[in-house]
Amino acid sequence: MLTYILRRLPQTILVIFGVTLITFIALQIGGDPTYLFVSERASPEEIIATRIKLGFDKPLHVQYLNYVLNLIKFDFGDSLYFRQSAMTVILEALPATIELTLFSMCIAVFGAIPFGIFAAINRGKWIDGTLMAIAMLGQSIPNFWLGIMSILYLSLNISWLPISGHVPFLMPILQGNLLEGIKNFPTTCLYLILPSFAVAFYSLSRNARLVRSSMLEVLSQDYVRTARAKGLSEYSVIMKHGMRNAWLPVVTIIGLEFGFMLSGVVVVEVIFAWPGLGRTVFNAIAHRDIPLVQASVVVISILVILINLITDLIYAKLDPRIRLS
Amino acid sequence: MKRLLTGLIAGVSIMLTASISNATPPDDTFVVGLPTDTIGLEPAQISSRHTANILKHIFGTLFFISESGTLDPNLADSYSVSDDGKEYTFTLRKGLTCHDGEPLTAEDVAYTFNRVVDPDLAFVGNSAGFVFPSIDFKEARADSELDVTIVMGAPNHIALGLISEVYVHCKDSYEKMSKEEAALNPIGSGAYEFVKWDKGSQIVLKKSPGSAVSANFENLIWRVIPEASTRTAELIAQNVDMITNASPDQVDAIDASSTAKVQKVSGTRRMYVGFHQGEKYANTEGGRAIQKSEVRRAIQYSVDVEAICANLLNAPCERATGIVNPNNAHPTLEPYPYKPEVAEYLLDQAGYPRDANGVRFEITLEAGHGRYLNDKNVVLAICQYLDDVGIKTKCDIMDWSSVYVPKIRTKDAGPMFFLGSGGGTWNPLYDMTDLATVESGPNYTEWTNPEWFNGWKVINNSMDPYVIRREIDRMLEVFYNEGPWLLLYFQPDFYGVSNRVNWQERRDEEVDIYNATLK
Repeated sequence: MLTYILRRLPQTILVIFGVTLITFIALQIGGDPTYLFVSERASPEEIIATRIKLGFDKPLHVQYLNYVLNLIKFDFGDSLYFRQSAMTVILEALPATIELTLFSMCIAVFGAIPFGIFAAINRGKWIDGTLMAIAMLGQSIPNFWLGIMSILYLSLNISWLPISGHVPFLMPILQGNLLEGIKNFPTTCLYLILPSFAVAFYSLSRNARLVRSSMLEVLSQDYVRTARAKGLSEYSVIMKHGMRNAWLPVVTIIGLEFGFMLSGVVVVEVIFAWPGLGRTVFNAIAHRDIPLVQASVVVISILVILINLITDLIYAKLDPRIRLS
Repeated sequence: MKRLLTGLIAGVSIMLTASISNATPPDDTFVVGLPTDTIGLEPAQISSRHTANILKHIFGTLFFISESGTLDPNLADSYSVSDDGKEYTFTLRKGLTCHDGEPLTAEDVAYTFNRVVDPDLAFVGNSAGFVFPSIDFKEARADSELDVTIVMGAPNHIALGLISEVYVHCKDSYEKMSKEEAALNPIGSGAYEFVKWDKGSQIVLKKSPGSAVSANFENLIWRVIPEASTRTAELIAQNVDMITNASPDQVDAIDASSTAKVQKVSGTRRMYVGFHQGEKYANTEGGRAIQKSEVRRAIQYSVDVEAICANLLNAPCERATGIVNPNNAHPTLEPYPYKPEVAEYLLDQAGYPRDANGVRFEITLEAGHGRYLNDKNVVLAICQYLDDVGIKTKCDIMDWSSVYVPKIRTKDAGPMFFLGSGGGTWNPLYDMTDLATVESGPNYTEWTNPEWFNGWKVINNSMDPYVIRREIDRMLEVFYNEGPWLLLYFQPDFYGVSNRVNWQERRDEEVDIYNATLK
């Protein structure tokens, strides 16, 4: 396993640098961002001084090279907008995004399992049709629309759930205040329900269809027929013999799901006033805060790569036929 | 399965009892919904109106700009000006204290002003980037415990108002803090003390017992709610008491609710279309045409500004007659009426008749998208109105921050461009300083009319208010007849206010919560 991990390292580094290069080029397309960091009544001399101070006077290749050299030293630079270390800004926002993404992942993965199983074991019946229709709906509805509609009907009209906002759970724990984190946990979950559902509904729908088709394939296998013939309960047949093989495809796409969700949380974080990294990056792009965008992209890339690695390792554990090679 | 279900039910029960999902603030708390978070709480680094609105409740200023535009005593109760006009001496009230318990004296005021220009701190906000260069700040000195003098390089008729934009902070605390610490721990002498900042979520303030400024609410919370429809939902649910930047398309929904209403006010932001007068577009067909004042005057009659306001901004607008806000504007000039037949006649007279295709000349109108109220549709409407009088207009709408702002700042936008410029209520010269010199940063049209710019010499050399006002009116007439702006409107502002409270809006985008009360 260690060998496998070490072998993945060079490609990880390549991916990160490729991502920073693409991001850097994309951000430079809009031209000189100096004007966004001076007041509208600034004199030409102040504009020039600010351009030099922010490093935008240098040629683009020099700017990128400086960035890469600093990156090697784990120096991600200072946010131009917040005027503090970019990594500090990211680390302040990241826990909220992790809360949202993890909660969404749980809904998308563990919600899909009963969804797909019920549809599979009731194949051809009205339950199957209804569940698959819902799944198709889930893959058609944009998450921002779902978010706004859920606010309107579940929060505003019938006051079941909070409209927006955030109560931190992870951040107090990371800061050493375990009791506060635990105390906040129920309220955090309450605030997480709507935004997580908005993020996860698409993935839940897709995973449910995946579990359904996978389960149908598994249930038609000889060993399942044998298990039934041995007199095992239907529950044992499905959960112990069928499920273990049926959800391998779901595990496979968890890594991809994570990256997909990180892109989906951007809009949802804005709608639900969730103070996460997605919203921070969104604002950073609007403000042409190049160091912050680049640092965020690096961090997100590392997270996605890490999750994909963990997914591969889990997959190998679940399926002994798979070797890490 | 039973255990799973039991656990699920228990979990849901805990969550539902954990908190009431929609909670109206307590009677001693006022909650404001903002569209963006602040970037820091450093009083010398303010670069947005939202940050200024938060910090004005934590910090005091020497004088205070009232809603009607008067300059009223605040931390200082009087001031005097030296004979040469370069030194303003303020006398502070007695008994002022900082939130850290230390007395606030002239030394703190002098420290505040000198700190702004500290090269090691390199501030670039409103104070360092605009106020101090405008007054040509030299130094501040404490003459006694209560007397502080601000020294400028030259006399300045709007110095008092500009100085009133500087937030006074407390030397003892700020000397001990690094720049990064100061951005997170504001210590002032205003009505409210800082409690906490949950980044991206909220800033919490509580009433300061020793403040010279009174306030009615014990707690003041600024909640960050970026999405307009979410802000509206929170207002209607009465989870917030007031929201800024209420979206015009949601005004009807708010007013139809039984829990809130929209308060509209004509703001001080001057919306205009600039006519580029510089060399860059002088050789283009449209650029050449708008170099003529007769053509610019004709265009003033060709746009139905009232219809734009009523249909696209969902509010009646105050029309502009010039560069100055209405309470300080020329006393007799009237807004140009919408009379396309007059526009057509004037264009014919200016030497631009319609050709066989009905076109007089072609021109481009550039604009940025997403910065001002319904800006894209307003610009499209203007383009259509110009088309209607035979000026074939190409609307070029681009991304605001990455494309349009650099074009504007380098004075490359044109030949026509749509823009807004913030203004004030307290002095016409404040609005006019956009065009203080030909080289002024905000002179994006590169206008050079000597009848306007020579007027500044008269103003700067006189201390007689009658002479100054007469010259201002003369300059405004020049601007009205030959100016480089298509005069549009003052952008309306929309505030959503809960029926739970009484709160009075201001024209100048400043938000005061001091006098808000519960109904």
